[in-house]
Amino acid sequence: MTGSGCAIVGLGVTEQGVGLGLEGRELRTRAVDLALADAGLPRDAIDGYIRAYVDREDLRYMGLSPNFSVSMMTGGATPVFSIIAAAAMIEAGQAEVVACVYGEAQTAFATTGKQDIGSYGYGYPMLYGLLGAAATHAFHARRHMHLYGTTSEHLGAVAVTQRDYAVGRPGTLGYGKPLTLAEHQASPLITDPFRRYDCTRNTDGGVAVLVTSAERARNLLSDPVFVLGAGTGHNIANWHQGLVYENHDNIAPAKARAFGQAGMGIEDIDMAQLYDPFTISPLMQLEAFGVVAPGQGGPFYAEGGAGPDGAMPTNTGGGQLSAYYSTGFTGVAEAILQLRGAAGAGQLKRAETALVSGHGMNAGVQNTWAHACMILGRNPRAKGATS
Amino acid sequence: MSATDQQPAEHPLMGAVRQYGGDPVDLPFWEACAQGSFLLHQCGQCGRHYWPASRCIEHGDAAMSWVAASGRGEVYTYTVMHRAYTPDTRDKVPFVIAVVRLEEGPFYHSNIVDCPHDAVAVGMPLEVVMQPHPSGLTIPQFRPRGD
Repeated sequence: MTGSGCAIVGLGVTEQGVGLGLEGRELRTRAVDLALADAGLPRDAIDGYIRAYVDREDLRYMGLSPNFSVSMMTGGATPVFSIIAAAAMIEAGQAEVVACVYGEAQTAFATTGKQDIGSYGYGYPMLYGLLGAAATHAFHARRHMHLYGTTSEHLGAVAVTQRDYAVGRPGTLGYGKPLTLAEHQASPLITDPFRRYDCTRNTDGGVAVLVTSAERARNLLSDPVFVLGAGTGHNIANWHQGLVYENHDNIAPAKARAFGQAGMGIEDIDMAQLYDPFTISPLMQLEAFGVVAPGQGGPFYAEGGAGPDGAMPTNTGGGQLSAYYSTGFTGVAEAILQLRGAAGAGQLKRAETALVSGHGMNAGVQNTWAHACMILGRNPRAKGATS
Repeated sequence: MSATDQQPAEHPLMGAVRQYGGDPVDLPFWEACAQGSFLLHQCGQCGRHYWPASRCIEHGDAAMSWVAASGRGEVYTYTVMHRAYTPDTRDKVPFVIAVVRLEEGPFYHSNIVDCPHDAVAVGMPLEVVMQPHPSGLTIPQFRPRGD
């Protein structure tokens, strides 16, 4: 895939929240229905299906008849990765409209016990009491503090920045619920340096996007968003070099490919929607993407750089921390809304291009994980790029 | 039943290794811990050390073997756990889990013991101390090292 070969023409976002009482399949199905309606496409237009995460296939219940259905699992990088894969399948002539779908009843796991505690384990460190992604991300945060003097207040600035976005956004966990830095600082320690408000909580919800060729997108009545570039990286490379704790993700190769395909630089990006299970995550990614120099992520947040009037508005719907957790689709959905000018009171003044990232996959003792990023654009080509 | 039908008895430590997320290929490491020895997996061609066991990123499995290591290192990063997520840590919170950078290069996740939590710092020199674990394994923990 090079440049804007493909576009997202349908977005479906279900209700998102705690204890919705709907099963994952129902959430996925409703998300697909919403995406079809948004795209103005009939049900039988979907001829490819990629399901983020692994479960039985959904197709019979959804009434779909695609040529292929794939379950894909590379953690929180899966949504962006699924869009890259969808574009590749379209360019390979295997489909014209691919649905990329997520939907989980995450908050039901706690009561049903459906989710095995082993899925939160990171190998032998369980012998030492290590369980859960908060602890493994805390290692990144503590190392960053040591290297650069990043503080808990800096992490709190991330939480407050994102909550400020969510306060004005209906349908988010943070809607109408402001958070102050003092409240962040007073919240209990979970796994130091993370306090409660440094951590995302699980929510139920579904998101679906429909991907098609840029050519076909021009002939649809829907409002397309173009995939200008995409890239992947895996942090195992940094593990082998002993640099895994300095690097939240292996962003360098992903960034080079995505920006190379788009023919753009970070200065051409209007907003960032970065995977944010914990406050350290968007902070370190902004550094790795070159928005700020290494170590400057904390001051950048504290000075409002990630806010709506800052140099790089980031996680503008509240993100996973304050809006909802639909894995990497939280950022994908927000980017699409902003680029369409459909973000309501939270609409950014400038919204032509967006950087979107996903991060995840429990890789055992190696800790982290997969990374995928993409650049989405309001227009099929970036300014100055040649076709 | 003939003797050939009998499955070989599983190693007595294997159940505990599996229960706590360990990898069966690391059994020699845990056996050595029970004998008070701290091992690492090493490539005989380039000398790189690995933990947990793996192939060498340069030489594959041409010359990998378990070798005695110093049991010395330093705190590379750490967290203080204020929540217990495993049954045997419920009466221990808060406790420290550190990533120890071993002298030989690899990282080792462990608890820091014999040290107040607020004294733990990145760069703190450490030495291994073997401790019994409720699983039946003997596990390496680390304590401050006075040089």
